Parts: sequence; C-alpha cells; structure tokens
Amino acid sequence: MFDFDHGSIVAFSKSFGLFYLIALSIGVLIYVYWPSNKQRFEDAARNIIHDEDKPCR
Amino acid sequence: MVTQLTQNERFLGLIILIALGCLGLVMAAAGQHDPIGMHGWLVVVCSIVMIFVLANGYFAPEPSEARLEHYYDDPSKVGIVVAMLWAIFGMFIGDWVAWQLVYPDLTFDAAWSSFGRIRPAHTTGVIFGFGGNALIATSFHVLQRTTRARLPDQLSPWFVLLGYNLFCLIAISGYFMGITQSKEYAEPEWYADIWLVIVWVTYFLIYLRTLARRREPHIYVANWYYMAFILVVAILHIVNNLAMPIAWNQAKSYSAFSGVQDAMTQWWYGHNAVAFFLTAGFLGMMYYYMPKRAGRPIFSYRLSIISFWGITFMYMWAGSHHLHYTALPHWVQTLGMTFSVMLLVPSWASATNALLTLNGAWHKVRDDATLRFMMMAAIFYGLSTFEGSFMAIRAVNSLSHYTDWTVGHVHAGALGWVALITFGSIYAVVPWLWKQPRMYSPKLIEWHFWLAMAGTLIYVFAMWNSGVIQGLMWRTYNESGTLSYSFIDSLVAMHPYYFARAFGGLLFLLGAIIGFYNVLMTIRMAANVETGDEAVIGNPAAAGE
Amino acid sequence: MSIFGLHYKLERSAIGFTLAVIVAASIGGLVEIAPLFTIDETVEPAPDMRVYTPLELAGRNIYIREGCYACHSQMIRTLRDEVERYGPYSLAVESKYDHPMLWGSKRTGPDLARVGSKYSDQWHVAHLINPRDVVVESKMPPYGWLMRNKLELNDLGLHLKAMRKVGVPYSDAQIANAVKDAIGQASPDSDEATGVSERYGEATNVRAFDGLPGTVTEMDAVVAYLQILGRLTDAAHKTPMKAE
Repeated sequence: MFDFDHGSIVAFSKSFGLFYLIALSIGVLIYVYWPSNKQRFEDAARNIIHDEDKPCR
Repeated sequence: MVTQLTQNERFLGLIILIALGCLGLVMAAAGQHDPIGMHGWLVVVCSIVMIFVLANGYFAPEPSEARLEHYYDDPSKVGIVVAMLWAIFGMFIGDWVAWQLVYPDLTFDAAWSSFGRIRPAHTTGVIFGFGGNALIATSFHVLQRTTRARLPDQLSPWFVLLGYNLFCLIAISGYFMGITQSKEYAEPEWYADIWLVIVWVTYFLIYLRTLARRREPHIYVANWYYMAFILVVAILHIVNNLAMPIAWNQAKSYSAFSGVQDAMTQWWYGHNAVAFFLTAGFLGMMYYYMPKRAGRPIFSYRLSIISFWGITFMYMWAGSHHLHYTALPHWVQTLGMTFSVMLLVPSWASATNALLTLNGAWHKVRDDATLRFMMMAAIFYGLSTFEGSFMAIRAVNSLSHYTDWTVGHVHAGALGWVALITFGSIYAVVPWLWKQPRMYSPKLIEWHFWLAMAGTLIYVFAMWNSGVIQGLMWRTYNESGTLSYSFIDSLVAMHPYYFARAFGGLLFLLGAIIGFYNVLMTIRMAANVETGDEAVIGNPAAAGE
Repeated sequence: MSIFGLHYKLERSAIGFTLAVIVAASIGGLVEIAPLFTIDETVEPAPDMRVYTPLELAGRNIYIREGCYACHSQMIRTLRDEVERYGPYSLAVESKYDHPMLWGSKRTGPDLARVGSKYSDQWHVAHLINPRDVVVESKMPPYGWLMRNKLELNDLGLHLKAMRKVGVPYSDAQIANAVKDAIGQASPDSDEATGVSERYGEATNVRAFDGLPGTVTEMDAVVAYLQILGRLTDAAHKTPMKAE
C-alpha cells in the first residue's frame, strides 16, 4: 500500500509530474490536429478580423 | 454614464455603495487606534464620492432599449483612462525609487517616502494599477467582440472595475503607512485580500455569464488566456495570502506558512503572478489586438492552443527556480529548473506566432507605430522568456540571483513586453471605443514609441551590466585565496549603472505621459464630434500629420 | 461517445474549460509544495531553537514595515563565496518560526542572516539614524524616526497569540507577560528584566539597545531583532560545511 511518508510523497511527485506532462501534451496535440477541428479553428482565427459593431444579443 | 444604467441597476448600485460606506464606518470606528481605521475612512470617502456620481443621474429616465443594440463599453473606457493614470503614478514612483539608489537622501528623512515603503507602491502601481486595469478594460472589450454577446448586465462590470481600484488604493496607501505583509507582489494585508477575492469572483462570473450568452460555438483563444489569468490568479491569491490577523480590528496578520514552506508558497505565487497576470492576460490582449490591427488572422491558431496549454501547465512548476542553492530541498529546485527550461517551447511558440502574423504586413509595421509597439512587445516577450529560462539554470542562477540582473530581466519583461503590448493595444482600442478614425496624433505615438524603446534599452543594459559585475565581484578571489572585494566595493561599482537606469526609467515615464495626453485628446475629439464643434475637429488632423 | 467528442464538448462548455485550467494549473503547485509539509526531512531538527522574544518580534515587524527585505536577504546560499562572506549557509530550521519568511530576493545591501552580534548596538543605532555616518558609500535610506517613535507595546500579547495559532510554540506565560518582557528586555536592571531570561533562555540579550534605558523605542526593537539574526539556534554551526 502507498505509505504517506515524506520519501514516498516526493517519489510520487517526481514520477507523476512526468506522466501527467506527457499525457497532457498528447491530449492537446490530438485535439489540435484532429482533422474535423481544422475548419473551426480557421473560422475562429478569421472571424475576429471583421466583426460587426453590434452584439447578436 | 450613470444614465446608461437601468433604474434597477442604479438602485442596486446605491445599496452596494451604502453597504460599503457602512462597512468603512465600522472599520474606521473599530480600528481607530490602528492604521486599519484610516483605511475605513478611505472606504467611506470612496463610497461617498461614488454615491455623488450616481446621484448625478439617479433620477434620469430609464435608458432606451436601443442600448442593447450596442456593446457595453463604458467600463472599458473608464478602465483605460484609469490604467493610464496608474501608469504615470506607478512609473513616477518607480523612477523616484531608482533615483533614491543614486542619491539615497531623496527620502527627505520621512518614513513614508523611504525606499522600502515606496518600492511596493511602484510594483503594485504598475503591475496591479496599470496592468490590472488595462487587463480588465480590454478583457471586457475583447470578450464582447469575440462572443458577439453583450455583457450580461451593466452593474457588475462597474463593481469589478471600481472595486478593483479600491483594492489598489487600499494597498498603496497602506504601504505609505507601513501596512504590508512583506510577501513580494502580494503585500496588501488580509482585509484588502478578502475584498479582492469578492471582486475577482464577480469578474469571473461576468466571463461565464457572457460566454453562456454567446452565439459563436467556439471560444476565441484570447478568452482562454484571459480566463486562465482570472482563474489562476484567484487560486494563487487565496493560497498565498492565508494568514491569521492579530485581531479583526487590526491590520497586522501573520502568514499561515513559515520558513521553507512559506518561501515555496511565496515564489509559487510570485512566479505565477508573472505567468498568469503578466503573461497570460497580456497574451490574451496580443491574440486579439495584434491580428485586428494588422488586419490578418493569427498565423497559426493551432499553435496558439498548444502554447496555451503548455504555459498553463508548465509555469506552475517553475517557481522554485527563485530558490536555487537555498534551504529548499534539492529535488524541488531541480524540478523548477527543468520546467523553466521547458517553458521556453510554448513561450517561443507564442512569440513566433505573433511575429509570423505580421509577416507580409511589414509595411504596416513600418508606418504604424501602434503595430510596432505590438511587434516589439512580441520580440521582448521572446527575449525575456529566453533570458528567464536561462537564468533558471542553477549554475547561471548562482551568479544572477540577488543581483540587478534579476531586476533587469524583470524590466525587460515588464517594460518591453507588458507595457509595450498594453500601449499598443490601448492605441488600437481607444479610437475604436470612442468611434474615431484614429488617435489624436500619430506623431505623438511615434514619440512615445521611441522614448519607450530608448528607455527600455538603457534600463535593461544598465541592469545587465551592473548585475553581472555585482555577481562576479561577489565571487572573485585573489591569489591568496580570499575574497577580493568587500560588499561595499560592489555597491560603489554600481553607481553609474544606477544613474543610467534612473535615466532610462525617466524616458519611459515621459513616453507614458505623452501617451496619456494623446488618449485624452482623442477623447476630446470624440466629445467635440458629439457637440458638433467642427472647428476643433479640424485641428487634430493638422496636428497629427 | 469517443474521447475526441468529449474534448469537443469540453471546449464548448466554459465550465469544462474552467475545470481543465484549474486541474492543469494546480498540479504543479500541489506536487511541489505538498511534500514540503511532510516536514521531517525538509526541516532538520534543532532542539536548541528558541522563539522570538516580544521585543524581537516587534523589531521584526518594523523590519517588515520598512521593507528592509527589499534590499537585504536573509538566506546564505550553499556557495563557497557566500559562506566565506556571510558565515555558514542557512538551514531551513532557522526560519521555522518566521511567519512570513524574509529570505529576500535582492541584495542591494549585504545578507543579514547572520548579522546578529557582528556589530555593536551603538554601531546599529548610528547606522540606522544615518548610514553614511558609518559607511560613507552606503545607499541605505536614513531611519531617524526609529529613534523618535515609542514602540507600540500594548498589543504584543495579541501578536504572540496569533503566532501561536499559526504554529509557533509560545507558552501561556510568554503570552501573558509579552508587554512586560518587551519592556524588560530593553531595560536591564529593571524588575521586568528578570523574567525575560527565565522565559526565553539565559542567552537572551537584555540591554538598552538604543542607549536610552528609560524608554522603549522602535530602535530598541529593531536592534534587538538584528542582534538575534542567525542566533536562534547553533544548528548551522554544527552542520558539516559542504558548500559548492
């Protein structure tokens, strides 16, 4: 069982950070390069350039 | 501006102000033998002033439904003017404090004006006063445009803006009186901190409520940065400021943390204040105003998302690089160093993304000082993030830490990145907000740009020199194996650089004053259009060319 | 629903995004800070470590009030030149009772972690009144008002009580006698002075720090604090030196 003393918490911190980092970056990369998302990102980037001067609501 | 509020909102505003005034009275009465009492009176005075402002239009008729056809920009307008005022105040104090290091008797033997008390007034004035107000003002503007939704109500933005400025006033007046927690960039005492939490929650709720009203399915990336700024600053602020007041009617409190835990907590806060206040928020500004001004979409929207998550995730680990070679456990130092170096990737991705957005519009950068402000900001962002990662390496840090190099690095970021992107954004947004074709005087923008550039470069080079010399002198040994220089030798060697730094700061301050004048004159142009004073409208065009 | 569909929804929902940011951003701090509170190995033991006397604590608060930490660090790093210049490198335990810590981040002036007993009281008083009388090239501001201001004594019991609430082991007797001990420490040969060494140890400095035995000024408090810096425990002098 996991023992909550200083040494094991430190060990967990040091290893967990790495796994978490890798998982997060893979997740973000998949999201960003998922083909069906492409159009939406391009629209978002373009849409701010020409905004009409009043709110939709 | 009051007449734009609905009668309901005016009434609610009045209730809030009366409640706040009463709270101030309680503070003033209960804390009459303590500096907190003075702050009670400050709250009372601020409430009364605002009640008078409100009373001015209190009985005006209900505003027409037509107001809902436009974005609600009044808080942004006020926020920008207030931000410029804070800029001048904060930079003036900063330059004064710099001159004190050249001529130490510039304190005039008063307590309130001594280095240790006005230095936090400078940092709070520029970071929270100038930076914070600019962030709040632009975030309301960007949020509405990118969601195509009006702010959910007209009262809460005012509460956020004015409440936030009350926090700044309490903080800075407190330093002059000697009220401070001593936590760097988190000096205000417990009661100011609690007030800021209330303001901040309201701020975030405005974001959520507006986003809920949006038609655009996708949330534009600038809002991601603004939201990360609001959210993470809230987390940092609450944890770092946990403290035990000695009594509820006294200002003094004792931090919940001590020693090494407090050091880690303070620099976890301190470094992430840089990350989420001074970086994420202003990246939000950049991702909206730079493409808008250049008339080109951001070079790679995908890259902006990748760098967003990189920055959000990795910055939080980096704080411990402020504590290399100290009593902090070694593994935490190493972790901080590793993540600080990795941070270079998302940071440079953002800087490159910004510069590539301008690629193909260089003629605009050449002709338009506003866009040039933004471009130089992106360059300084790239430079200072590189410098930051470099200085986080233990071996480099052993030389740079405790020296002016750190001060130089901070100002490369603060002047070069934060202030330049803010001035650029303000010059872009002021004509849009006040419905003018352009700023009052493009020539004055040029002046401001070159003063800011010269000031920043002089400042940064002076501090690089002094920092490296200082660091080297402290560790130089002579042939017999003893230290070559006394501490005071290194201090004497700093004198010319301190002079240069104060001069550079002065140039930067002058630029900000010119900028403020330009903003005011643009507002006057708008006012003249409204009153139909054609004669004056003709002038700025002539003055500008 | 696939994981990517979930992602799509996440991004569309502001609340989901909010949670994602909180999670992504909190982990770093949690992982680094949380283990520091499992304290045994972070802070080394020092049985001789004593708490600040009320007068020293008041002096520390004035040190904070005047922003001394902006120019003076209290953290000697494990580097050879620092150890030779300032003394044995700082241990975590030495700031165990520092709420908040004052390690500092900038040395416009020298480190003060071990300044205690390095200079005489008279030197400190003269230096604080006008630094350039003592060190001609100094850039430090003058602090003349420390000598003019009487020390605010009445609340010292509350201060000690608040410190105890955040974990500093002040005894009931120390809290009850806070005001008396503050006066006593600055007034040798007075009735109040006897209790100070009883409650805080024989090694406690009991002197008229500002040179005026009759009154307790802010100068008394600041000098008392400066003279105890680095001397709350001997632990650092006993640890074998292994500077890098």
